[in-house]
Amino acid sequence: MHRNQRHLGSRRLLAFAALSLFVLAACNGNSTTTTSSAIKIGILSDCLGDFGSFYNDDLGGALAVLNAHYGGKASGSLPKDGMTGVKIAGKDVQIVGFGCSDSTASKAIEETRRLVEQLGADILIGPLSGDEGIAVANYAKTQPNKTFLNGISGAQDATLKVQAPNFFRFNPDGAQWSSGLGDYAYNTLGWRTAAVIGDDYAFPYTSLAGFIAEFCSIGGNVTNRIWPPLGTTDYSSFITQIPKGLDGLFVGVGGAGLITFLKQYQQLNGPLNTKHIMGNTFWPDPQLLKAIGTPMVGAVAASGIAADDTSPQTIAYKQELAIYPATQADAASVFTLGYWSAMTALGLALTKVNGDLSGGQKALQAALASTVVDGPYGKISLDSNRQAVFDNWIVQITAPAAGSQVPGIHTILQVPKVDQTFGGFFSSTTPPPDRTNPTCTKKTPPPWVGHETPVSFS
Amino acid sequence: MAPRILLGLLGLAVVAWIGNKAGQDMRIFWIVTLNGLTLAALFFVVAAGFTLIFGLMRVVNMAHGSLYLLAGYIAFTLQGNWYGVSSNLLSGTPATVVSWIVPLVIATIVIGLAGVFMQQVFLRWNQGQDLRQALITIAISVILADQMVAHFGGIAESIQQPAVWPDSVSFLGIRYGFFRLVVVVGAAVVIGALLFLAIKRTRFGMIIRAGVDDRAMVSALGVNIQLVFAGAFFIGALLAGLAGVLGGTMIAVQPGNDSAFLLDSLIVVIIGGMGSLGGAAIGSVALGLVNSYADVYLKFGTNDFTNYAILLTFILVVAVLAVRPLGLFGRPA
Amino acid sequence: MSVARSATPPAAGLNGRGMRITRWVAIGALVLFLAGAPSIVDSFTLAQILTKALWLGIAAASLIFLSSYGGMISLGQTGIYAVAGFTMANLVNAAGGKHLGWDPVAATAAGIVVATVFGVLCGAIASRSYGIYFLMITLAISVIVFYFFAQVTTLSGYGGIRSVTSPGLIGNPILNPVPLYYVALVASVLIFLGIRYLARTPFGLALQGIRDDPARMQALGYNVPLHRALAFGVGAFVASIAGILSVWYTTQISPGGINVTQTINILIIAVVGGLYRLEGAWIGALVFSTIDNYSRVWMPNVGDWLGPDRFETIIGVIFLVIVLASPGGLVGIWESLWDRRKRRLAPISAPGIPAMEVVDDAVDHPAAV
Repeated sequence: MHRNQRHLGSRRLLAFAALSLFVLAACNGNSTTTTSSAIKIGILSDCLGDFGSFYNDDLGGALAVLNAHYGGKASGSLPKDGMTGVKIAGKDVQIVGFGCSDSTASKAIEETRRLVEQLGADILIGPLSGDEGIAVANYAKTQPNKTFLNGISGAQDATLKVQAPNFFRFNPDGAQWSSGLGDYAYNTLGWRTAAVIGDDYAFPYTSLAGFIAEFCSIGGNVTNRIWPPLGTTDYSSFITQIPKGLDGLFVGVGGAGLITFLKQYQQLNGPLNTKHIMGNTFWPDPQLLKAIGTPMVGAVAASGIAADDTSPQTIAYKQELAIYPATQADAASVFTLGYWSAMTALGLALTKVNGDLSGGQKALQAALASTVVDGPYGKISLDSNRQAVFDNWIVQITAPAAGSQVPGIHTILQVPKVDQTFGGFFSSTTPPPDRTNPTCTKKTPPPWVGHETPVSFS
Repeated sequence: MAPRILLGLLGLAVVAWIGNKAGQDMRIFWIVTLNGLTLAALFFVVAAGFTLIFGLMRVVNMAHGSLYLLAGYIAFTLQGNWYGVSSNLLSGTPATVVSWIVPLVIATIVIGLAGVFMQQVFLRWNQGQDLRQALITIAISVILADQMVAHFGGIAESIQQPAVWPDSVSFLGIRYGFFRLVVVVGAAVVIGALLFLAIKRTRFGMIIRAGVDDRAMVSALGVNIQLVFAGAFFIGALLAGLAGVLGGTMIAVQPGNDSAFLLDSLIVVIIGGMGSLGGAAIGSVALGLVNSYADVYLKFGTNDFTNYAILLTFILVVAVLAVRPLGLFGRPA
Repeated sequence: MSVARSATPPAAGLNGRGMRITRWVAIGALVLFLAGAPSIVDSFTLAQILTKALWLGIAAASLIFLSSYGGMISLGQTGIYAVAGFTMANLVNAAGGKHLGWDPVAATAAGIVVATVFGVLCGAIASRSYGIYFLMITLAISVIVFYFFAQVTTLSGYGGIRSVTSPGLIGNPILNPVPLYYVALVASVLIFLGIRYLARTPFGLALQGIRDDPARMQALGYNVPLHRALAFGVGAFVASIAGILSVWYTTQISPGGINVTQTINILIIAVVGGLYRLEGAWIGALVFSTIDNYSRVWMPNVGDWLGPDRFETIIGVIFLVIVLASPGGLVGIWESLWDRRKRRLAPISAPGIPAMEVVDDAVDHPAAV
C-alpha cells in the first residue's frame, strides 16, 4: 500500500548511506600506520563494568614507572590524561592510547585490536580481569610479532592452558594469591572441615581453588561449596546454607559483593569470629578496607601485598607512585601493582635489548622471559609458561590507627616462591577450576607448606 | 480452566515440599522465610511507586531503578558530608537517628522532585504515546547509570543505620537483622496502609481511581488532570527514592542495583497486574519467597539445583502470564 | 492511520528524471563502496566498524521488521540471537561448552533452527500482548536467556565459550577479516531484500493489517495471535543470523555479551536508525559502532561528566535526543529534510509522516483479547 513511498525512502537512504560510508572512509585514512621509529605501547584496562573504578589505578601503576625511570612527563593530574617524553634505551616511546574495556572478553578484544591494529601499538600491557586475559592471550597467538604483558588479570588458563609464546604475566593468578592460607587454616587455626563461598564465575573459582588445593592436600576437608550468582544483591539465603559446626569458612565473595555479604553475615551470625573465617585477596584491598572497616579486624587473608613492609624497594615503589596522588592513596592496591610490575619488566627488557624491536620482537621476548622484577614485595620471575613465580603474604587486618577510620594491615607470614602449579596440583591437563573442581584430595602438599617465614615489619 | 487446576496442583506440591524441608530444620526455615518476606517488603516499596505511575498514566518508567539507586547515593553522600559518617559498618562516627533520617528525607524528596521534573520536561508533551515514553525513560536510565558510575565509583557503599538501633534481634531461637525485620517491613506496611487509605478514602485517591478507569472522563469533569499526573509522578518517584535509602541501608548502594531493582519491579507488577496496589503486594511476596526458598530448597536428594534458582523466578512469571496475561489483578485498560 | 502513509504521487517530469539519476548514482556508489571496502579501508576498520555494523544491523533489522510491519517493539532479539550463537558454539569444537565437534556449517544450521523454533514459542506466549506489555515480556525473554547461559555451566557459564571454530570459508577473522565481511554483507543484502519481499506477500500484508487494526483483522477472520507469533518467528530467524555472525566475529560468546546492556544497545541502534524503516537498522548500527570506537579516541575529558570512558553517556544522550526530536530516527530526519526540499521543487506532495502514529495505533488496543 505504501510501495512508492518506500521506494522514495530507499533512494534517499542509499544516498545517505553512501555519503556516510565515504565520510567514514575519509576519517579512516588518517588514523593508522604512521611509520616512525618510536616504540609504541598501548595500555588496556577497564573503564566500564565491574572494575571500571580501578581504571586510573591501573594506568597510574604503569605510567609511574615511565615517569620515575624513563623521563615521562604526565600530561595532567590523572593517569588517563596521558604521558609524553618517554625514552627507553635512547628510543622514543609513545603511549598510543588507553584501552577501555568493560570486563567482557569481546570488548577486551575489540579494544586490544584498536590499540594494536588501529593505533599500531608494538607492545600491549593489559588487561584487567580473568576472561579478558584468556581472550587477549589467545589473540596474542595471532600476533606473534607483537608482545603482550598481562595487566592484572588472574585466570589460571591464560598462561597454564593457552601458553601463547608472546604473552607474559608478571602477576600471580587467582589461585596463587590464596597460597599459604590452606596451611595456615589447617596447622595454625586447626581447621579440619571448611566451607567455601564465592561468586559464581571464573575468578572466585580460581581463588578458592588455591585454598581448596592446599587445604585438602594437607588433609583438610571442604564439605560445602556455595556459589551465589554474580550480581546477587542479597546474600542472606546463601549465608543460611553454610552449615553450623564446621571449623571454618573461606570467603571469596569479591569486590562489590563483599560489603553486602559481611553486613548480612553479621546480622545472621553476629560479629565475625576471626578464628573461623578467612578471606581471599580482596579483603586487604585498600578501597574495600575503607568501605567495610572494622568488622574485618583480626581476620586473616592472603595478599600479594605486604602493605606494612618498610623495605627500600617498598619505599621506592611508593615514591614512584607519588606522581599521581590518586593512585598513591591506593599504593597497596593489587591493580596498581600488576600494571607497575608489567611496565617495570618491560622497561628492563627493552633496556637490555637496546630498544630493538626488529625480527618480530624475538630478542625482546627472550629478554622478558628471563627478566626478574625486584618488586616492592619480593622478587618476581617467570616460569616456562611465562607465568609469575612470586612471594605471597599472609596478612592480618588490624584496628585503625589513631585518627584514621581505615583498618591497617599487619603482615605475619611470607609464603616463598609460589608457582602456578601448586607443586603439580594444577597442570595443562587438569580441568579448569569451576563449581566442583578441583576435587578435595589428600596428596603431596605444595612445596611452600611448612616453609612459610614469619615476618614482622612494624 | 485446565491450566488453573494444574497451577493449583503445582502450588500444593510446592507447599508440601517446603513443609517437608521445614520439618527437617525449622531454624533455617524461619530464616529463609524472613529473608523472603523482608526482601518482599523492599520490593513492595519500589514496585508500589512503579505501579502507581503506570496505573494512572500508562507510563512505564524504565528509569525507576535509576531513581532508586540515585536516592541511595544521595543519602550516602549526605550522611558522609554533613555528619561525617563513613561507610564503615562499625568504625568511624556512628550514625545517629538524625543523621540517618535527615539524609533519608532529603534524598526521598529530591528524587520525588526529580521524578516530577522528568515527567514535566520529557513526558508531559507526548502523553498517550506510551512506547515513546518508555524509550525516553530507557534513555534517561542509560545516561543516569553511566553518570552514577562516573561520580560515585564502582565499589559498593553502605548507608549506616543509627547506632542506637540493634544490629539484630533474637526470638524463637533465631537471630535476625533488626533493620530488615523491623524498619523495612514496618515501612512497607505503613506505606501500604497509607496508600490504601489515600486511594480509598481521599479525593486525590478518588480522582486516581477514576483516572485509572477513564482519563478522558476525569478531565472532562473539570479535574486538573495535569496536576494529578504531576502529583502521581511525585509520589511514585518518592517511593523509589525511599526504597533506595532503605535498600542502601539494608543491603548496599552499588552499580547494577538500578537494573536489578527495575527488573524486580517489572516482575512484581507483571505477576500482580500492572496498576494494582494489591497486586504489587502479592507480587512482591511471591517474588521474595520464591527467590529465597529456591536459593535454599531446590535440592532433590543429591541433585542440587540451587544454582538455577534464579531461573525459577522467570518460570513463575511465564506461569502466571500463561494463565492470566494481565497478571493476577490486572484489568484491561 | 494508514491513510497518512498512502502513496506519494511520483514527482513529475524533469525532476523525476533528476531523482532517478541521483538514485542510480547513489546505489552505484554504495555498491561500489561496499564491494570494494576491503581495498578502500584498512582491515581494522573493515572488521571493527563495517563488519560489526553489518551484524549489529541484522540484529536491529529483526527488531525493526517486527516494529515496522508488525507493530511489535521487542527487547527479546538479543536473547534469541544468543540462543542461536550458544547453540552453534556448543555444537562445534571450542574451549568451553559441550564442544561436540560438529561440522561448523551443520552447527550453524542447527543454531538457526533452534533459535527460530525458540522464537516461535516465545512468540506464542508474547503474541497475545501488545505495546508496553509486549516490550516487557520480550525483555523477560532476554533476561531468562542471559541467566540460563550464565547459570548452566555445562552449556556456558559466565566465562562463555571461547575459540569457537568457524567454517573454513570464514577462517580466522582476526587474521583475515575479508571473508567474514563479505558473508555479513551478503547476509545483510539478502535479509533486506527478503523482508521487503515478505512484506508484499499475503502474510506480510495481513501482518501490516494487524499492525494497523488487530480488532478489524480478527473480525475479518484472520488468526491474529498466529500471525503475530509467526512474525516473531521470522524476526527470530533474522536475529539468529546476527547471533551466528556475532560468534564468528568475536570467535567467542559469553553471557556478558548478551546482557541487559546489549539488549538495550540493540534497541538504541534500531531507534537511532529509525524504527519504521528497515534501512535504519544498518544506519543505526554504523553510527553505533563508529561512536563506540572513536569516542574512546577523541572524546575530551569534561570533569567527571564526559570523557573517553563515558561511551554510555554519549550514546544515551544521542538516543534521548533522537527519541525526543525524531521518532523516525536518523532516517526520519533525513526524510523530513528531503520532503522539505521536495516541497520546494514540487508543490503538490504528500504531507510529512509522523511515523510514531503507526505504533500508537497498535498501542490503542492493548488488550484486544
